[in-house]
Amino acid sequence: MATNPMHQFIVHRIGPEIKLGNIDLSFTNSSLFMLISAISICAFLFLGTKEKKLIPGKLQLLSELFYNFIAKMISDTAGSKAKPYFPFIFSLFMFVLFCNMIGMLPYSFTVTSHIIVTLLLAIFIFIAVTVIGFMKHGFGYLKLFVPSGVPALLLPLITVIEIISYLSRPVSLSVRLFANMMAGHTMLKVFGGFVISLGLLGGWLPLGFSVALTGLEILVAFLQAYVFAILTCIYLNDALNLHH
Amino acid sequence: MDNNKSFKTRLEIEKSKINKQSIRDDKERGSFIGFALKLGTEFVAAVVVGTIIGFILDGWFDTKPWLIIIFFFLGAAAGMSNIVKTAKKMQEKN
Repeated sequence: MATNPMHQFIVHRIGPEIKLGNIDLSFTNSSLFMLISAISICAFLFLGTKEKKLIPGKLQLLSELFYNFIAKMISDTAGSKAKPYFPFIFSLFMFVLFCNMIGMLPYSFTVTSHIIVTLLLAIFIFIAVTVIGFMKHGFGYLKLFVPSGVPALLLPLITVIEIISYLSRPVSLSVRLFANMMAGHTMLKVFGGFVISLGLLGGWLPLGFSVALTGLEILVAFLQAYVFAILTCIYLNDALNLHH
Repeated sequence: MDNNKSFKTRLEIEKSKINKQSIRDDKERGSFIGFALKLGTEFVAAVVVGTIIGFILDGWFDTKPWLIIIFFFLGAAAGMSNIVKTAKKMQEKN
């Protein structure tokens, strides 16, 4: 049981069963780790900005670093019009980053390795971006699906293709994060299992792999959070600065 | 007092450096990593979404299996257009 690499992804209930009609609203280990990451983000940023020193301490430096990083990313990819959406993108990035990073701790649970979590985030972004696009441009936002300079004969075909390409955004956004996290954690567990089964004699090679993979996974955890946030910025840019 | 003053001048110098750098970075780097990592799943996702739409429409109009075939290819085309668009954006930045 313990060597099954998929065992780590099982969601189980903690505490009493809560049911609302047919919907199971019980508190699970997934919700627990979401709560842990949300609380640690709040604690980290609160402690980091509590003393506003001119010469920052370590925590303050780190939180200012994150702030600058996201602020720069937004102005790079989506321009100055996207400034009002900074809080949303910042919290999105921090949540995904902390979920990924807390998942790297032994005995913890990786929330983002479940497609339902990432798909829900992606669908929320998709709907929000679409609503923002319609709010800013009215029905002119539909021009996104009708590229200029296309012969009239091809227009229906191109429009269908553009709509499919637009609808594929949340899928690609969520699958990327979920697949990366799940594949990485499965791989870590498989190599960990090799160490045990090969024993003291042959276990050293997979142990080395395991150590190297842990480093790689920490990189992936950060990179995927970054990609998730930057793609949100790119989609937001399409909605705010409509051009085709 | 003197210490404070020198700190302020140093802060001004650093600030102007940051401003210059951010302008340069905007032009040069943009968001390449984001674009590059977008490519892989973008294609697959478009094909999957196209096929699912075809499947649903087949159920509605009772035209099995024609729409799923047509929409599979439309999805592949959408994936291609996604990649071409991303590549064009990357070249613009360059």
